[in-house]
Amino acid sequence: MSRLELIDINKRFGGQVAVSDFNLTVEDGELVSFLGPSGCGKTTTLRITAGFESPDTGAVMVDGVDITDLPPNKRGMGMVFQGYALFPNMTAAENVEFGLVVRNRPIAERRARIAELLELFGLAHVSTSYPHQMSGGQQQRVALARAVAIEPGVLLLDEPLSAVDAKVREELRTEIRRMVTQLGVTTILVTHDQSEALSISDRVVVMNRGAIEEVGTPAQIYAEPRSAFTAGFIGAMNEIPVRVISGALGLVERDGRRVAAPGAVGLLDGDLALLLVRPELLEPLASSVAALNGDLTMTGNVEVQTFLGATTRLLLREVRARTDDPMAMSSTRRLAVDVPSANAGRWPAGSEIAVRIPVGASRVISDRSAASRQVGTTSSYPVAPNA
Amino acid sequence: MSSPSITGEATEEAIAILPGVHAREKAARRTGHARRTPVWAILVLLVSAVYFLLPLYATAAFGFSTGKHFTLQPLWDGLGDDGFHTSLWLSLLYSVVTTILALAVVAPTAYLVELRFPRLRATVEFLTILPFVIPPIVLVVGLSSMYGINSPVNLIASSLAPVLLIGGYFVLTLPFTFRAVDNALRAVDVKMLSEASASLGAGPLRTFIRVIVPSISLGLVSAALLAFTTAMGEFTLAALLGYPTFPVYLLNVNGFQPRMGEALVLVSFLITWAGVIALAAVARRTPGTQVVRGGPM
Repeated sequence: MSRLELIDINKRFGGQVAVSDFNLTVEDGELVSFLGPSGCGKTTTLRITAGFESPDTGAVMVDGVDITDLPPNKRGMGMVFQGYALFPNMTAAENVEFGLVVRNRPIAERRARIAELLELFGLAHVSTSYPHQMSGGQQQRVALARAVAIEPGVLLLDEPLSAVDAKVREELRTEIRRMVTQLGVTTILVTHDQSEALSISDRVVVMNRGAIEEVGTPAQIYAEPRSAFTAGFIGAMNEIPVRVISGALGLVERDGRRVAAPGAVGLLDGDLALLLVRPELLEPLASSVAALNGDLTMTGNVEVQTFLGATTRLLLREVRARTDDPMAMSSTRRLAVDVPSANAGRWPAGSEIAVRIPVGASRVISDRSAASRQVGTTSSYPVAPNA
Repeated sequence: MSSPSITGEATEEAIAILPGVHAREKAARRTGHARRTPVWAILVLLVSAVYFLLPLYATAAFGFSTGKHFTLQPLWDGLGDDGFHTSLWLSLLYSVVTTILALAVVAPTAYLVELRFPRLRATVEFLTILPFVIPPIVLVVGLSSMYGINSPVNLIASSLAPVLLIGGYFVLTLPFTFRAVDNALRAVDVKMLSEASASLGAGPLRTFIRVIVPSISLGLVSAALLAFTTAMGEFTLAALLGYPTFPVYLLNVNGFQPRMGEALVLVSFLITWAGVIALAAVARRTPGTQVVRGGPM
């Protein structure tokens, strides 16, 4: 449909930086998510794209045409709002029809389009219902149908699923992906929910403090995060401090044990670094003496078990092998390990467990502030409030 | 005694502008407890009823009486009087024009303040309550000086003179109309609805007429009602500017035909009530506005 370019966008509110040096090209028919914590500038960037805010500097281009100064009603972008924003005085069908009426489409065409869209979104049975008579999921479907009814060049979704319950959210997620693929509409999805971003996007833009932290496919963002922020924000991640022994050979050391870590290639010798490992990649060992093949292992006591469905997450408090290492200040480091729920009974709370850290498959990022972070740090693993 | 407890959600839930009591009842019902009406509430209701109904009864007793027995003759006399017809027509005409003017000015103003100029809210609110501070008599004196025969803008002697009266009525209705519309606007997410409409291609005027106005129809009905009744019942401006409106006529009639005057007071009361009921009925039929969210009025 359309190729969207955001070029050098900057925006401040008062003294507060909302968006900083934002550069992105969204290809025709691509679904790109803006993902980040509250206040990271993702919604502001979306609103600048829609024309509801004007950037302090920079340009918004669609198919090579600069639309930065075009009012929102002339941009031909469909938008779905966080709170649905359905017109309360109109039925579902009338809401969908509104944009077509504005465009002076003939009545026969409007009717056909309404019928088609209500059918596509499974709304035919509520076509004459008013918004207050519909469930949250139905209202959000109407909002989606209304936004795509005008055949927008670009579709903007501002946290569209945050107001619906978990089950409906999953259904709608799939529907949005299906719809974007079917209609081929260039789409931006703003979300703070990483599973939402990872599950339906072609690419994910991770944002932090108004700037792009990194851009990549969901697989790249998840498996090969390039920054500690992304690593911490996307999914659960264990950060294990190591020291780079040889940046040329990709060797790191922890507790006196040297292991090959290809991820460390290029880092400075002697630097402190963080080994990033997903909980599901840590492998429980049959015994704590098993690590003979040059692998890194850690031993800890299970503090908490959290049932996650197919897997169970064990939160370990590490028991360090040596204490004369400078990094031993962090002797109470915690690790998260995911094990199949069927086996979780083997490691009840309080029991000891040894895990193998697959160093070869892990990311290593330089952490120049690691030394200072060690002092007084008991856990680098972000413990969920409910864990 | 404590007042019936209403949940946090329910207090937020609104209190629609016209059928406010209706919304409150709904909120109370949601709490799930049928409560017994406290004795003091019944007492207050009774005292209020006596306070409001007694004068009506006295008016009827005096107006529909020869002094010794019941008669409808004063009513027939009044309804047949030419002065009654002309003054009522004049009042209705000016009140309708005032109502239309009030809605046409106040609704877009309140919308723009809410959407674009929230910082001006305090100023606009202050301006709209000025009629509470400045009595109508001062308004008349001001209007006479400004537009009187000694003024360069001599409206009073021109054919545009009714503009002065209608303008005065408009000012007097501001405290009520602005508040009614503003409350309704604040109860819906005006910004989000406007943005949704714009994203679908609608310009500001279409957005206002097709999206905002229907969303705040209860507030508009309420504002219309308040503007209409204020203008219908206004006496000072009309009397001093020399317009024989219905209230002015009633006062005159009371001087020489008191029984007929009282009978016509009841007629005016019924007309006002018919208007209130008709507008309320219209409001209830408006789709999508049964529940208006917002703060308490």
